[in-house]
Amino acid sequence: MIEFKLPELGENIEQGDLVRLMVAPGASVSTGQSVMELETDKAVVEVPSSVSGTVQEIRVKEGDKIKVGQVIFTVDGAEAKGSSKAPASAAAPAQVQEKPAQQKPTEGASAPAPTAAPSPATAPQTATPPAVSSASGAGEFKLPELGENISQGDLVRLMVFPGAKVSEGQPVMELETDKAVVEVPSSIAGVVKEVKVKEGEKIKVGQVIFTLEGGPATPAETTSVRNAPVEHVSGQHGARLAFQAAIRAEGKTEEQALPPDQPQRPGAPEFSMPAQLGKVAGTEHRQPIPASPHVRRLAREVGVDIYEVKGSGPGGRISEDDVKAYAKGLLSAAASAVQTPRAGHFAQPQLPDFGKWGKIERVSMRGVRRKTAEHLAESWNTIPHVTQHDRADITELEQLRARFAPKAEEAGGKMTVTAIALKVCAAALKVFPQFNASIDIEKEEIVYKQYISIGVAADTDRGLLVPVIRDVEKKNIVELAVELSQLSKKARDKKLTPADMEGGTFTITNLGGIGGVGFTPIVNFPEVAILGLSRSRMEPEWINGKFEPRLILPLSLSYDHRLIDGADAARFLRWVAEAFEQPFLLSVQG
Amino acid sequence: MSENTNIAVIGGGPGGYAAAFLAADLGMTVTLIDPELNPGGVCLYRGCIPSKALLHVAKLLEESHQAKDWGIEYAAPKIDLARLRSWKEGVVNKLTGGLGILSKQRKVSYVRGRAAFENSATLRVSKSDGSEESLSFDRIVIATGSRPAIIPTLKLDTPRMMDSTGALNLEDIPGSLLVVGGGYIGLELGSVYAALGTRVTVVEMLSGLLPGADRDLVLPLHKRLEKMFDRILLNTTVTSVKDEGNGIRARFEGADVKEPEKMFDRVLVSVGRKPNSEIPGLHKTRVQVGQRGFIQVNKQLQTDDPAIYAIGDVVGEPMLAHKASHEGRVAVEAIAGHKVAFEPNAIPAVVFTDPEVAWCGLTETQAQKENREIKVAKFPWAASGRAVTLDRPDGMTKLLIDPQTERVLGVGIVGAGAGELIAEGVLAVEMAALARDVAMTIHPHPTLSETVMESAEVFYGTSTHIYRPKRG
Repeated sequence: MIEFKLPELGENIEQGDLVRLMVAPGASVSTGQSVMELETDKAVVEVPSSVSGTVQEIRVKEGDKIKVGQVIFTVDGAEAKGSSKAPASAAAPAQVQEKPAQQKPTEGASAPAPTAAPSPATAPQTATPPAVSSASGAGEFKLPELGENISQGDLVRLMVFPGAKVSEGQPVMELETDKAVVEVPSSIAGVVKEVKVKEGEKIKVGQVIFTLEGGPATPAETTSVRNAPVEHVSGQHGARLAFQAAIRAEGKTEEQALPPDQPQRPGAPEFSMPAQLGKVAGTEHRQPIPASPHVRRLAREVGVDIYEVKGSGPGGRISEDDVKAYAKGLLSAAASAVQTPRAGHFAQPQLPDFGKWGKIERVSMRGVRRKTAEHLAESWNTIPHVTQHDRADITELEQLRARFAPKAEEAGGKMTVTAIALKVCAAALKVFPQFNASIDIEKEEIVYKQYISIGVAADTDRGLLVPVIRDVEKKNIVELAVELSQLSKKARDKKLTPADMEGGTFTITNLGGIGGVGFTPIVNFPEVAILGLSRSRMEPEWINGKFEPRLILPLSLSYDHRLIDGADAARFLRWVAEAFEQPFLLSVQG
Repeated sequence: MSENTNIAVIGGGPGGYAAAFLAADLGMTVTLIDPELNPGGVCLYRGCIPSKALLHVAKLLEESHQAKDWGIEYAAPKIDLARLRSWKEGVVNKLTGGLGILSKQRKVSYVRGRAAFENSATLRVSKSDGSEESLSFDRIVIATGSRPAIIPTLKLDTPRMMDSTGALNLEDIPGSLLVVGGGYIGLELGSVYAALGTRVTVVEMLSGLLPGADRDLVLPLHKRLEKMFDRILLNTTVTSVKDEGNGIRARFEGADVKEPEKMFDRVLVSVGRKPNSEIPGLHKTRVQVGQRGFIQVNKQLQTDDPAIYAIGDVVGEPMLAHKASHEGRVAVEAIAGHKVAFEPNAIPAVVFTDPEVAWCGLTETQAQKENREIKVAKFPWAASGRAVTLDRPDGMTKLLIDPQTERVLGVGIVGAGAGELIAEGVLAVEMAALARDVAMTIHPHPTLSETVMESAEVFYGTSTHIYRPKRG
């Protein structure tokens, strides 16, 4: 009989009110399945089960206050997830006494998949996988290459935990690199055995992220996993799963409490080498630091890594004062960092207690949303924005577009207004190079770029992403249409790499698909201009003494007024509008 | 964790009771579970304490022989074994009884029995009175210690085959004793029996006694033991033992073996200790047991199960009481929410033979293994006035010093009372003292502690009692 206990839910959350119970005695639960909704001080969270089996007894009821560690329900038979050791050691204690050295191999060989059922019927089934599992047992997922010059990133969010099933292509973590927050998809499928990283860590390319349990849970489930379309984990459902996983994963790391002192735990699939045997348990191999025990403890208490402190005493001995001075230095550095208006980190007035007026839910703003917030705030704070509006008559262009659409489709793209806008803007940027520039305030220089790479804002499940199309001026509209389609798909499939999103010199954002008559986009720093497109509509135009129905595309150009004067912006936008109106101009001037 | 944390400690040895007492002092509700009548564990009942009582007697016997050289001659001692045993037991009862009182004064609930895990927070305790009880706790500290290791081929069901526990029972003074294993337990107990008149043979598989200790520290001990023991066989294994009714026939194998088999009245197997990590129900928790049976913990002594901590012999070497006590305190402080870690710079090791061998911090063996540049400053006890007055010039004190910073990284001492002297070395290493600090600290004269100061002076070439000609 296995108990499911309320796992750690996050920092400082020790209990919660049980809002909704989603299991009943007799129900079967599987690892990762949501079993209850818990209201904590911070949010209502769905709590996923960490065990599989048939629910025997429920020990709580709705409305109860539940503490971390409290038993929620018991399940029959099947093993708790992640504890593949349980059956092995249950079977082995007698052997363990005599031959501890054999314990690991025993474990490795017989470690059943988490859902390996106890019923004799499934026994033969589970008997076969180990052969497979020992082959794939050493399955490790390592951080893949993320892009040029990106060798590492900060782990923002971990979406897997021991016992979780992962499939190929499923996002398993969010990594913040210098350039972007990226979701990293798994390249392997199976059941996670051990997660070797934790949130907040810096992770290097090639570093092992997690290891897989011996092979697939059951043959049947493997196929179902394989067949599952990737779309299955996208959208709301995916976000929710990821959210639960994140909570679970956070709880896990909190629980482990191994950080910040996590000793090198022997890797799950490997055996620890006898070389380690003589080591004092729990100590890592660092040379003893020249500081008295009391000073070392003080450092620990104030959160200073004593190995970072420079000792002022003889032989580099670190005194109490050294630690205090170092801590003070850290504090003032942190304080001054807070004072400088850093993007997204403005001191904002304290929030009222929204809960007073109704129920609220708090959700982590990590990941793309935070990155977006920081980046846009930085742009907004750095750049004096002005927005110029204009309208382009695209009646003729629309006919052309319709005519050439099949051609683009043949090539695998879609002839959209955005694709055409790419070509138009590339031509305009050649004529007006200051729109394809950046300002280097420190050196008091303007950086003119000799290439034209245009970012296209994409609205995705995860938020705003801006993939960049390179060397736009060298490509024709069909090529641009194809590339744009590919990038959009990549964005939707969460396959964009930071390299796909860097190096832009100008940005286009098209909200026309949704509607609107105009807006003021924010310049994508360090670029200096951005073109917004709204919905084109039929409008009466006064032409040759009468109104004619014309298809009008509203254009909004935001620009950095430090570099670009209003008249230049008006000229640039007029040029763009005319290019839309007379596509012929492109071939002449563009 | 808040003040009213409910904590259980499994095992009442020096690690367990130190943890329990500190937890009580910090305001926690504490249950201490152990099968013995009072706290104490192996250390007090079957280890450090009874062996030291016997070694004290052994020392007296040895000195009574040596007294002849000083003009005092005693008649051959009459040994009343029953009286000796009851004195030893009196020592044990006095100390364990004291712990029982300390436990009560602290309102620690002492449960006599054995614990099994039902889950990470619940223990099923089979009490000594036959009853059973399930108890739930916020945190559990495993302090189950270790037991003598057994070599399957050297297993005989006869009281003539002893482990350390049996040897401490001192049932008789055998005519001959075979000690299998030249580690500290075998040498200490072998010394006791040798002093009582037993002919002792020590067999060690490796090339030297006290494997792991620096050879220069072992040498004076080896010399003295050669006189005291019948034989010391190195590079030798005992391949079999056979109970022949009137004794045990042991077969030896090794390069230096001249007599391939020999009869012994008793055999003491002291080949190390094994962690007691086979706790019933442990698999129902997330605690991980690593190779060699040690429970895996982090620097806070927390196991892979966040509600469970483990300390002492069951988490790893060195299996020493003082390491366990320190770990116990760290674990409890961690449970109380303090930011602490088990991170000593020096754990002293003492072998209570005569002469005693003690060391702490870095050893020369370790420095060589790590290819670490160090300077070693040695002071031979022949130059110590106090050592000469004791007629024990067979000692040596050495400091291991970092040549760049002149910091004392390790201390090694062999000689009478080295176990007491090493404490200063531990303090020097922990405080990151420089050799100069030690040299400039006034030490009382005439004491053996001066050897610590003078070895620091040796480092600077200015030791008062050693003349070293100037180089070049």
